[in-house]
Amino acid sequence: MSDDAPRSEPSGTASGRRLPGRGLAKGLAVTLRTMTRRSVTDQYPDALPELPPRSRGVIGLFEENCTVCMLCARECPDWCIYIDSHKETVPATTPGGRERSRNVLDRFAIDFALCMYCGICIEVCPFDALFWSPEFEYAEEDILDLTHERDRLREWMWTVPVPPALDPAGEEPKEVAAARKAAERPDPPEQPGTEPGRPGGRGPRREGEA
Amino acid sequence: MNARSRNETAPVHLGMPGHGPEAPRLGPLARLAPEPLKVVLNWGRRYSLWVFNFGLACCAIEFIAASMARHDFIRLGVIPFAPGPRQADLMVVSGTVTDKMAPAVRRLYEQMPDPKYVISFGACSNCGGPYWDSYSVTKGVDQIVPVDVYVPGCPPRPEALLQGILKLQEKIARESLGERYAGRPASPAGAPGAASASALTSGLVRGPATPGEEAGR
Amino acid sequence: MTETTVGIGGAAGSFGAGTGQGTDMVLNIGPQHPSTHGVLRLRLVLDGERIAAAEPIVGYMHRGAEKLFEARDYRQIIMLANRHDWLSAFSNELGVVLAVERMLGMEVPARAVWLRTLLAELNRVLNHLMFLGSYPLELGGITPIFYAFTEREELQRVMEEVSGGRMHYMFNRVGGLKDELPAGWTGRARTTVARVRSQMGRLDDLVLGNEIFRGRTRGVGRLDAGTVHAYGVSGPVARASGVDFDLRRDEPYLAYGELADVLRVVTRTEGDCLARFECLLDQVHNSLDLADACLERLAELPPGPVNQRLPKVLKAPEGHTYAWTENPLGLNGYYLVSRGEKTPWRLKLRSASYNNVQALVELLPGTLVSDMVAILGSLFFVVGDVDK
Repeated sequence: MSDDAPRSEPSGTASGRRLPGRGLAKGLAVTLRTMTRRSVTDQYPDALPELPPRSRGVIGLFEENCTVCMLCARECPDWCIYIDSHKETVPATTPGGRERSRNVLDRFAIDFALCMYCGICIEVCPFDALFWSPEFEYAEEDILDLTHERDRLREWMWTVPVPPALDPAGEEPKEVAAARKAAERPDPPEQPGTEPGRPGGRGPRREGEA
Repeated sequence: MNARSRNETAPVHLGMPGHGPEAPRLGPLARLAPEPLKVVLNWGRRYSLWVFNFGLACCAIEFIAASMARHDFIRLGVIPFAPGPRQADLMVVSGTVTDKMAPAVRRLYEQMPDPKYVISFGACSNCGGPYWDSYSVTKGVDQIVPVDVYVPGCPPRPEALLQGILKLQEKIARESLGERYAGRPASPAGAPGAASASALTSGLVRGPATPGEEAGR
Repeated sequence: MTETTVGIGGAAGSFGAGTGQGTDMVLNIGPQHPSTHGVLRLRLVLDGERIAAAEPIVGYMHRGAEKLFEARDYRQIIMLANRHDWLSAFSNELGVVLAVERMLGMEVPARAVWLRTLLAELNRVLNHLMFLGSYPLELGGITPIFYAFTEREELQRVMEEVSGGRMHYMFNRVGGLKDELPAGWTGRARTTVARVRSQMGRLDDLVLGNEIFRGRTRGVGRLDAGTVHAYGVSGPVARASGVDFDLRRDEPYLAYGELADVLRVVTRTEGDCLARFECLLDQVHNSLDLADACLERLAELPPGPVNQRLPKVLKAPEGHTYAWTENPLGLNGYYLVSRGEKTPWRLKLRSASYNNVQALVELLPGTLVSDMVAILGSLFFVVGDVDK
């Protein structure tokens, strides 16, 4: 009941009583003023909305980066990621070398009917295989079609936008800092840990990845 | 077409015991009309969907946002002024359906006149979503009412609802009501989850009586 | 003893005999009823047109979030915690991370603290705009909600740009925020805040001065300070009854301590529906000022991180703590009990709306049915927040 009370009181009581219907007239004036303005309506089916790059619409899978580590499936609060894989042995590349086994992805599916769009899978993915895409047009008549298999998830990958530039007032991104450090070093010893040149530098920056 | 036939076999066959007159109430006009007239009828139905918002949770806010000036689904012929389910053609279930709420959802669905359509809006009503392991949440509204279009998202953006509505309109345009209600009559065969509103209500489960308590009484 | 049970909404019929005496009519409102925005059910015992007794029946939206918290690790809890009060998702997350950070004794970077304050205030504006629009709608004026949602869309766009979500931001992390701001975001946020502020006058003109609105709300549903304390009512509803309590000032968390000169705790003494509405409206103005102050401060801060590196498996040490925040609708508290595991042993949620709605038991008796909608709407509750 302090300094703001005088602001609201006179409009309703004192002057309102003096001139009945003043409040109504004021309201109608707002409506009339708005009538002269352009409408704010987006013409959705004809004009697609401009969505910010971070918008959480659908998850795209960049299969080549996936090592079937299952972190995404394990960390998902909804358990909506299905991954099947098998092991394959790769013959030794050098004579006398050892055979190596590697995981091959058989199935990668996300059930978007169940997904809560939290993005934990994308955050925990250590190899940048999952990305947010702002696409949202995939309502279905059958709930089974909402489980997107790997080919469909790959299609979404091509709709992933470039991540936005970061605020200069923030801390330098880890990748940039590491790359700069590597470049500034007088004699560049090949350090595997810094990895300055991620393929195309396409992965958005991750934090809290740990 | 494949997807559609799959769809029609799965959830639509909800026979309704105890609700005899609920079975298809198709007028002769809709049943016997020649093909061109059916196209016209479908066209009319498609663009005047009086919608009944079964607003339950977060998604209801996005539903309201879709009905407001920015997204404005009245442009698509969806009219959000249905005074109640009895005047509505389309029910949008937006939000978490809990087991306590399920009978009401079913009851209000039964009150809607045929032909009626249901859009399941958001992860919770699709299949429980974030509450998939909760003890009190119905894992998907399609367990109690047949759903025509599922809109994914948590919550889906208003544009996604608009796209779902477009999808439903396409479905209405190519459907034939005769086919839609062909499998409906109260033949229990092939209708596994036949549940009416009253069937969804059950009393409290009684705990095992402890001997001491018995003696006390 | 005749009792007529009349029902509006889905649950009619199956609930009958109860507490009514004589020829009182028992009227069920809800659970699905336009005026309950959500699925609150009210069981009214009517004497003619006057309400003799009222009982809010909760639980139609009970989703068992507290139990689910026990099966989620601290990262996953944040994702679930913002969903109980879906209009103030950011503030809900905030409570959880504040509790976990306190348990861990974690220091949050200054930039993250200011950003959190900013986003929490923007979220408060979003929440209040919803009620500023829907309350006149319940009283019969459809226009204001269109204006309120136009403003909401502007703000949601800003929030989506930074967090990726329109309603559920899921932007908080233990130790800070998920991500750095996109370049140029602060400028856009500033313009949006300015634009929303310039448009707030429309709501003033449309609603507050309107004689019909004032006639329906002035002196209706008076809540006195005693009832506020008895029922644990908090937030703008309590402040409209003269209970001058705001955690942002009285127990500052985040950066509110440094914002003391901007923060104005809006109070009224009348305690009626109009006072509650005015409180909300004034809070929006103040929140916009706070947001501006945060933006200014952010520009002055030296560059720094917005989060901390977390261990691979985050475990809160054994113990317990209670973190409460001033959510848009009132006090929102999390009582976290940890036994040193990945998941909390118990995470009790104290939500504002639950207590606020209970006050209906005192407020409704003696009023007319037509005033019921005005009173119900003016308690500003979210059903998910009531039922958890």
